[in-house]
Amino acid sequence: MAEHVILFTGPMGAGKTTAIQNLSEIEVVRTEANNSERHIVDKETTTVALDYGEILVDGDEKVRLYGIPGQQRFSFMWSILKKRAKGMILLVNSDAPDPIGEMTFFLEEFRELYDRGGVVIGITRADVVAGPTLAEFSEALERTNPGLVIPVFTVDPRNRDQMENVLLALIVNIEMREAFGMLTATETA
Amino acid sequence: MTIDGNYVAPEPAPQPGSFPVSVGWTQAAIAISSVMVLKTPMNLRMSIEMHGPLLIDFEHHAFAWSTPLEHFPVDAVHTGLETVPGGAGAPPMFELPGQDLDGLLWQIGLNSFDGAPAFWLSPGERYRLTRWPNLTQHSHNMRQVKMIAVLGNAYVSTTELAGYSGVDVGEAQRLVNALSLMRILSRSAEAPAVPMAPETAAAKRQSLFGRLRKRLGRTDG
Repeated sequence: MAEHVILFTGPMGAGKTTAIQNLSEIEVVRTEANNSERHIVDKETTTVALDYGEILVDGDEKVRLYGIPGQQRFSFMWSILKKRAKGMILLVNSDAPDPIGEMTFFLEEFRELYDRGGVVIGITRADVVAGPTLAEFSEALERTNPGLVIPVFTVDPRNRDQMENVLLALIVNIEMREAFGMLTATETA
Repeated sequence: MTIDGNYVAPEPAPQPGSFPVSVGWTQAAIAISSVMVLKTPMNLRMSIEMHGPLLIDFEHHAFAWSTPLEHFPVDAVHTGLETVPGGAGAPPMFELPGQDLDGLLWQIGLNSFDGAPAFWLSPGERYRLTRWPNLTQHSHNMRQVKMIAVLGNAYVSTTELAGYSGVDVGEAQRLVNALSLMRILSRSAEAPAVPMAPETAAAKRQSLFGRLRKRLGRTDG
């Protein structure tokens, strides 16, 4: 069976679970637990192992969508999942205390995924608060990762059309990076 | 073209084989491009027949218009164009923050110059993206997404872009014009051609992008 693993990463409360629920054609497998950090993000539950959804492409070929837990103490799950992934959708909520810092942190943690696949960054809740502009996110990327042209979009994880755009942009960008010989040796699924 | 603070003079006559200035949004694109490179703070007010005044505040990268961009009139008739002094002390032309200017520039760039190179571009150049446009906010098709992905990964000429993306040169040129007007394209006359791995029939069939697009019903190109 052909499979393509896409990771959804980013801090707690960025909208990873919602994004996967919106894209998945199956009922999403969720591992939620009570959120003990409501002083950081005010929601009742949070992902503790992973979320899982999938899109059937053709026959038995699937795009597998994995959402990782956002807190760093679950980083052992990050290591397991990133080995299988082809690309990453990094969601960062604009109303986080330091959204640009969160973006650069997760990008650094998952840098190998960029090198052998691709990354798209989605800025969520940009319509709720006046956080950094997209240009400021891009400038920060250029400072920390000179020469990388990573797609950065504002996105509402509840909007299926927007999430499809993000997913398709990730996949075509990976294919173009491959076509221009820009990927390092792969261990993609 | 000259700009004296309140008046934008008519553009010079197009050269044979060049773009027809009167078509669509060409005049607006020329004016916007010119104001954006000026050191003097300046804004624009355009009159669009049947669509009311279009106000652009460059300092705040914003615009105001009663016509929603999803109803962008590709064949608008421009009945007037004037510059408005901007900068500190100048009253705002409209209530800020307004709408993000990128969405308007995207539409104007795509719908000007009739598929010919924008007047500020030079023959022999190759282009590469400096950042992706915010595609979730701009009306677009999948051919444009593929072209943008090409431009994000290599310096290419318009002809190469068209060839790598499977579109005609005019369509590729419209996209280059738009991204250039948005100032998210770097240009180089020295950048060498970058070969793309040949897309065999098997590779084309195996493109996940193509198959997933089809699966999601995104067959718009």
